[in-house]
Amino acid sequence: MERQHDRIESLNMLLSTYLPDRIRKAVKRIKEHYLNDLEEIRIRSGLPLMGVFSGSDYFISEEGVLSHSSQSALIVTPKEVNSLFLLLCEQSVYAYQDDIIRGFITLQGGHRAGICGTVVYDGDRIKAIKDISSVNIRFSRQVKGCARDIFQQLIRNRQDIHNTLILSPPRCGKTTILRDLCRLISQGLGNDSFRGLRTAVIDERSELAASFRGVPQNDLGPRTDILDGCRKSQGIEMMLRGMAPQVIVVDELGAMEDADAIRMAWNAGVRIIATAHAFGLEDFKRRLGVGQLAGKDGFERIVLLGMNNGKRWAKVMDANGNEYSALAESCRMPDGFCRMRGHGNEYVFEACRETACTGKTCGNSS
Amino acid sequence: MSLRLAERQRALAKLAEILLNLRNQICKLGIPLFMAFENVGRESNGGVWTDIFIECGNVMRQQHIDAGEAWKKVIKKMGSSIPLDESDWQVLSDFWELLGKSDRENQESILEMEKENLEMLEKKAKEAMNTKGRLYRNLGVLSGAAAVILLL
Repeated sequence: MERQHDRIESLNMLLSTYLPDRIRKAVKRIKEHYLNDLEEIRIRSGLPLMGVFSGSDYFISEEGVLSHSSQSALIVTPKEVNSLFLLLCEQSVYAYQDDIIRGFITLQGGHRAGICGTVVYDGDRIKAIKDISSVNIRFSRQVKGCARDIFQQLIRNRQDIHNTLILSPPRCGKTTILRDLCRLISQGLGNDSFRGLRTAVIDERSELAASFRGVPQNDLGPRTDILDGCRKSQGIEMMLRGMAPQVIVVDELGAMEDADAIRMAWNAGVRIIATAHAFGLEDFKRRLGVGQLAGKDGFERIVLLGMNNGKRWAKVMDANGNEYSALAESCRMPDGFCRMRGHGNEYVFEACRETACTGKTCGNSS
Repeated sequence: MSLRLAERQRALAKLAEILLNLRNQICKLGIPLFMAFENVGRESNGGVWTDIFIECGNVMRQQHIDAGEAWKKVIKKMGSSIPLDESDWQVLSDFWELLGKSDRENQESILEMEKENLEMLEKKAKEAMNTKGRLYRNLGVLSGAAAVILLL
């Protein structure tokens, strides 16, 4: 109940700070029990206002009524989209130009606004996005405790953890699990089984901490230092030199130079917790560069995530793919979260078939 | 009158100085406008402009409006404390409308353009002080002398 109240509070703050008048009024008029399921507001120039509620799209009328039909929906004007864009940028486009080039702006509260428009190139580099045509405001929610069961399998001793790689197809909750793992590693377990460690986060896409003007909007633990918007390879080197971390957390390995940077961290005795898009361990091993990190002398624990019939599952394995444990039923993620991520199941199912979902965990959870 | 002309010239020179600081906050540091206004108001010994810039930052922060609108509101409320002519305000007004609406490169051009405008205004103010200022001073001296003669 308290969580729901906080969410509505956070939503109200977001609405009053950023949304143009007419859109704000329409969204505020939506009944509270629907508002609680609101995940995204999609605002497109000249098109009906749309919301995503627990994975389903609904058009929103000026009176806040939800409908599958766009006929009575509020039609957003180009002027409103432009005004929204300026509000998102705090009337200072230049201050957000690096974010705009990446396609999104991180907002107060850790929420995020995706931006579409006309891309302007300067040679091979995106220089700007002009004539903003649509904005997608995505509401963030941190799921504290969702990685607790997985974390138990990653503890080496009370002052050390295993180098861990989290693998899954997109939208299976890698980043959410990584965020909570980071919090647990930094905070410790509150008993003598594991003390917290100095943790450094290289938050290249500002998704883990969701920093807003340098202040992390998500709780990543009391011993965590965050390098926001920095490339992983450069960030790892900077952290090693400057912050003496015991653990480095990075999201979405992929680039060739990431592998060298991670080896550098290992050589310095620092543990790595990382994620990567992959349909399974074998799929990851085939990747150029980073694929070799999953072999001998590489990551010691592999966490596979997947989803079946909207239910989340996770497997913890050693580097050879031998299973330590299988955790079904969403790894403590709440129903709302499952429903949210359940959206787009076909893609996840396809991924599941190709990953460890062929194993007994997936079968059990279905 | 002569004193007001000197104050006008000083106010314009101070604004040029503030814009240089503002340029650094915008183009080099990428600080959002409302914070940049508050910073230049506090940091750079803004003289007569201090309160105006701080208030402008406050209005932007609280009312979520753009720099042009905030500037108009603040000048309407506090502009009388600044010794500028109506023609000076007109030259300066367009600039604030453009602040914050584009990328750093473009903002730099806008600030450069405004710097040139200010230099022109400053030059005019100096000329006015040299000609009209001397006239007002001489008039003052002559009036004083006339008053003394009459009293004798």
